[in-house]
Amino acid sequence: MTWWIPLRSLLRNRRRTLLSVAIIALGTAISLFVFGFLEDSRLQIQATTVDEYGNLQIASPDLWDDTTEDYNYLITPETEAQIRQLLGRRDKITGITSQLQFPGLIAAGNQTQVVRITSQVPENDTLNIDAFVIAGRPLRTSDVASVLMGRSLANRLGLTVDDVVTLTLTTVDGAYNATPLRIVGIYRFTSEQVELRSLFMPVAFAQRLLNTSGVDRLIINLESISATNSEAASIQRLLDDAALSFEVRTWDDLSPFYKQLSGFFDILFGFLTLAVFILVFFIILQVLTLAFLERTREIGTIRALGTTRGEVLGQLLLESGWLAVIGSVTGVLLGFALSLGFNALGIQWQPPGTVETSVLSVQIGLLIALPPFGVSVVATLLSAIFPAIQTSRLRVVDALRVE
Amino acid sequence: MENTSQFCHERGLPFLEARALSKTYQVGSSTVHALREVDFAAMQGDFVVINGPSGSGKTTFLNLISAIDRPSEGEVLIQGVSTNTLSERQLAQLRKDKIGLIFQTFNLIPVLSAAENAEYPLLLQRRPKIERAERVRSMLAEVGLGELGRRRPNELSGGQRQRIAIARALITRPKLVLADEPTANLDSETGAQVMDLMRKLNEEHCVVLLVVTHDPAVTKYAKRQIRIHDGRLIEGGQP
Ligand SMILES: Nc1ncnc2c1ncn2[C@@H]1O[C@H](COP(=O)(O)OP(=O)(O)OP(=O)(O)O)[C@@H](O)[C@H]1O
Ligand SMILES: [Mg+2]
Repeated sequence: MTWWIPLRSLLRNRRRTLLSVAIIALGTAISLFVFGFLEDSRLQIQATTVDEYGNLQIASPDLWDDTTEDYNYLITPETEAQIRQLLGRRDKITGITSQLQFPGLIAAGNQTQVVRITSQVPENDTLNIDAFVIAGRPLRTSDVASVLMGRSLANRLGLTVDDVVTLTLTTVDGAYNATPLRIVGIYRFTSEQVELRSLFMPVAFAQRLLNTSGVDRLIINLESISATNSEAASIQRLLDDAALSFEVRTWDDLSPFYKQLSGFFDILFGFLTLAVFILVFFIILQVLTLAFLERTREIGTIRALGTTRGEVLGQLLLESGWLAVIGSVTGVLLGFALSLGFNALGIQWQPPGTVETSVLSVQIGLLIALPPFGVSVVATLLSAIFPAIQTSRLRVVDALRVE
Repeated sequence: MENTSQFCHERGLPFLEARALSKTYQVGSSTVHALREVDFAAMQGDFVVINGPSGSGKTTFLNLISAIDRPSEGEVLIQGVSTNTLSERQLAQLRKDKIGLIFQTFNLIPVLSAAENAEYPLLLQRRPKIERAERVRSMLAEVGLGELGRRRPNELSGGQRQRIAIARALITRPKLVLADEPTANLDSETGAQVMDLMRKLNEEHCVVLLVVTHDPAVTKYAKRQIRIHDGRLIEGGQP
């Protein structure tokens, strides 16, 4: 009927309204803060995951399924050229490179360690690890029998730049091969697992060691992470149309860690949301039930004056709508303030499984605010429905008799 | 404003009729007969005072006429239409458009100003803003509170509140106004002012006025007096 009578009704009991607004706002703010924090962590992990895997990888299904012992999944230079030509005109692709990965055994003195060699094109822009090198130098195209070792592995084996290790491996023909490798550089990474497990060498030398001219995957970088899924689907279609039996994997397919963490974040936020929802719902239910009950005679009066049940219901719901919006908007602002303050503190921490400290921060933005805002609004409105219906259905004479 | 005095004394079909009106309440295992087979009629322009001891059924009678309660037996006819045949929504419409209610305890809405309280029925009728403002202004002037429109009810005296309540009851120009002990919470002087106002409205606006009261001072304003005793109408049911 009017928008302002419900607003005034809401504001009549200042203390109670303030309390309700405070509860809704607090729930919204906490939820917003935590969501912003989780989203920020998720984005950071996204970025490091893409650093590690690129946006997309193309390989034979045999490689992805990990079903074959031998190297029949390798991509020949001719096929690689064909794929590169297919991808050539796609404008969201910012870079393509190839890799050849294989397992091996490192021996240094009397210590041995199982590792995974990632051989790649040195000095390429797509999956450039030069920035991670903290000692020695990056790989060069001309390098032969050279390797980059992770900081954690180097520490464990007591090795440093210019030390030599022996690598033992199996060639594509199944023969054993062993070669000395010189550590030209030490790299760091956010994940300790990567530092312990992965060694980098130029792909040309790796091909010589394995006795092949092939690579096992093509790695594609895109202009943005958000383009990943659509681009993956399009590229898969291109490959299928060209009758090339290769499969596109996205960075999040490739990183079980990201998948797990992301799922864990979702569950965490889900629980928090549920808790906030329940808190807001039951407290506001109490508050509104009381607020409407106190107004029984007034409701009886306006019904006697000719206000319909529907109109009374509408006004009561509108009143709770105001409460919901005022509370939630306050909560969003409070949450933003909290996040800004927190970001300003610049707290350092070392996430589990990583070797780098990073600055704790919280994402701030309207998209972050939307879920907590929505949850609080819905909880408040739902809590109003039952008392509002009950109040609108009071018998007028009974309502008027209430003192 | 149109001259209605001739219209006011028009004879013919009654504006309001109660036929064999009864209301019983069930309290536990016993039945309370609040109203027993009341027959009553009022013509356009009537001013009826309803007397009777406490608990005799006066409020019950008004409630049935304003259709905020439904009779157990019998019926109420307003301009020949039985309220028994109307839906909840139609009854709300009837009250909104044709009936003005005045309560013993004023029943103003505390969050609205005096002027907004008077305006409320026009909001219900979805009248345009300009019309509402104009009617509120003239109505407040008529009840002598032109200056106090911005005050909240709790900033008004009892007599002022009741005059706002009267303004609210009359602003839609209803044909029927029901008042349940409108002066009970007022001192005798203020009560007299309120009754003067009611009489003026009865004469000038030609409304049917039904006023429940215990107060002999109020009774003398009426054109007609009825008595209810123990749920029965014992005197003056017909015009
Ligand atoms: N909701 C109800 N439930 C049970 N009994 C009721 C109810 N309403 C009224 N009564 C009974 O009906 C009878 C008439 O009540 P009513 O309120 O009409 O009297 P009244 O004449 O207005 O009295 P008063 O002058 O004290 O206001 C009383 O005996 C009262 O107790
Ligand atoms: Mg009474």
